[in-house]
Amino acid sequence: MGPESNKVGHSAPPAHLSVRGIQKRFGGVHALRGVDFEVARGEVMALVGDNGAGKSTLMKVLAGAYVADEGQFFLDGANVSVNNPNDAADLGIQIVYQDLALCENLDVAANLSLGSEPVKPGWTILPRILRPLDDLEMEVKAKEAFDKLEVRTLQSVRAKVGGLSGGQRQAIAIARAVGADSTVVMLDEPTAALGVAQTRQVLEVVKRLRETNHAVVYISHNMRDIFDVADRICVLRHGGNVATYQRSDTTPDEIVVAMTRGRASEVNDAA
Amino acid sequence: MQPDGKISVLDRFRTMRETRIGSFAPVLLALAAIWAWFGLALPLWDLASGEADGFRAIFLSPRNIYNLFMQSALIATLAVGITTVLLLGEIDLSAAATAGVCAALLGVMVLAGVPGWLACLIVMAIGVVMGAAQGVLVAYIGIPSFVVTLAGLLGYQGLMQKILPTGNLNVGDPFVRGFTRVLIPDIWGLALGTLCILLFAYASLQKQARRRALGLEVDPPLALWGQVLAFGTIVIAVILTLNAYRSLPLLLVLLVGITTLLGWITTSTPFGRSLFAVGGNAESARRAGFNVNRIRVAAFGIVGLMAAIGGIFGASRFGSVSYTAFAGGSLLLEAIGAAVIGGTSLFGGRGSVWNAILGALVIGSLGNGLDLTGASAADKLMVSGAILILAVAIDALSRRDGSVGQ
Ligand SMILES: Nc1ncnc2c1ncn2[C@@H]1O[C@H](COP(=O)(O)OP(=O)(O)OP(=O)(O)O)[C@@H](O)[C@H]1O
Ligand SMILES: [Mg+2]
Repeated sequence: MGPESNKVGHSAPPAHLSVRGIQKRFGGVHALRGVDFEVARGEVMALVGDNGAGKSTLMKVLAGAYVADEGQFFLDGANVSVNNPNDAADLGIQIVYQDLALCENLDVAANLSLGSEPVKPGWTILPRILRPLDDLEMEVKAKEAFDKLEVRTLQSVRAKVGGLSGGQRQAIAIARAVGADSTVVMLDEPTAALGVAQTRQVLEVVKRLRETNHAVVYISHNMRDIFDVADRICVLRHGGNVATYQRSDTTPDEIVVAMTRGRASEVNDAA
Repeated sequence: MQPDGKISVLDRFRTMRETRIGSFAPVLLALAAIWAWFGLALPLWDLASGEADGFRAIFLSPRNIYNLFMQSALIATLAVGITTVLLLGEIDLSAAATAGVCAALLGVMVLAGVPGWLACLIVMAIGVVMGAAQGVLVAYIGIPSFVVTLAGLLGYQGLMQKILPTGNLNVGDPFVRGFTRVLIPDIWGLALGTLCILLFAYASLQKQARRRALGLEVDPPLALWGQVLAFGTIVIAVILTLNAYRSLPLLLVLLVGITTLLGWITTSTPFGRSLFAVGGNAESARRAGFNVNRIRVAAFGIVGLMAAIGGIFGASRFGSVSYTAFAGGSLLLEAIGAAVIGGTSLFGGRGSVWNAILGALVIGSLGNGLDLTGASAADKLMVSGAILILAVAIDALSRRDGSVGQ
């Protein structure tokens, strides 16, 4: 198959969220060198690349956790700016971080509502940060989120996260991102700590998100999972784009070659 | 999620420990041990060894308990403030010096004829600025709070000496002295206490009912009523004891009121939640959308406010402002010690302002008891040091328990 068919072309759905020319440096490390990326509603875009390729950095830029040195953001074609996590959340972007970003000293329900705590109605004379928390509402939300995810490994939403297993924590981080009001959900290696059954559940969740017309970004090193859920696969290498493939047009072997050595044609050209 | 009925015994125990009263258990035990030692063991020993003619219950006499509470009130006020920065995982070494500067300014202002209430408000505003200024250096410049507040400690000590060249100033203003002199009449004190207990019971039952209505786990009734009973017993016992000597002083009512407010803010508002979140994992809190820098500045502003209030309380109680009573004395270490002995973690993310009050009582009781037994200042320092180490060791150990469970 020719290189043209691998590119994002007319067959690609119109992008919901897209970024152009993202540059990010950490001191001397040039982590992202002008990356383009996009994801449409109702599709799962897989993001793959070797360790250190810049996947997590790109996700953090999209989520507002890092501010890009250069680059443009578009939401449904309109230019937007994302300078902090609140901007991203306001645009409907939710993320499961690779390191989960939980607070171990807080309980499960508090972690699920972290940053968007529900407050009791009334009390309008007080600024929002000083109004009474509705902690029972938080617990209800947490239970609903876990029921929706069919998570049965958590005994109590009042348990401190510090005492939970890696897989249980991952479930919390996923429930937090999926439970919030969002149009874009990005999952950075969400199944790394999960057992077989739980991984299957997460893949089901990803498919359900696609059915509910979310734009989903899925990062993983597991080719089988990627070919199970993804519609398109974007390959990064050394902080730059290699190509974006339609899943139906490619094979795991081709992706692995692209991840490790760049585009097949370039490899041939270089040879 | 498991249905309510299947919560295991272990979980029940854990939820018990995490209830309001449960987290007080260690510091309450320490307090009970100290009171038993000075109040019962030592007098009994004296009686048995023939040193005393009768059982000398000086330590547990209403008069001494009254003095003990008043002595601990200043430490407690600062400790409550320091707890808010400890929750963030920061420290404030300048709180006592801030209190000193505020007290000195208060003294100078009332001497110059400024009305007492106005002077108090001005001093509280100055305290907030002094604290928040350090918070800005910590949050926006990124200097460790230990260094910033150490510099603050030195600078504010110097400032206090500048304001009080003689090192001492009498404060006779009736408004300022009123905080310690005004006593709530016995019957009103009891009424106030009963009201608090009823409110506490009502709030607990209300919450329980809402939990049941929403289908959430409910605390076992034993834990619920145990809490109400323990709370009620403590409140009534304290008020009766104080009434037996004089009456409930306004100072203690204010201290409890302020602590209630701050306790509510730290546990039950989004701001309080952000304090715990930043203390637990600052980067996670930042990514969750909290403005970490502003939270830090606010917390240091709160310590400054509490330090100023401590300065006012101190000036009221002593009837004077002296360098050694605030900036130059042991107040700072006693206040930090009180917060830590209360169970607030130096590593951030765990603690409560109420525990700081109990910690202050532990420190105050130690000092008071050792004074009564005629111990030297050297003995007092050494015992306080040992208690502090014990408290921090418990903190470090309980932290390790948590991480082993991962
Ligand atoms: N906070 C940081 N400070 C300095 N360098 C960083 C930082 N975060 C990432 N980098 C660098 O940026 C590059 C890309 O890292 P990134 O975490 O995005 O990789 P990744 O593709 O997610 O890899 P993995 O598959 O291992 O998760 C790496 O070289 C890394 O060292
Ligand atoms: Mg990564």
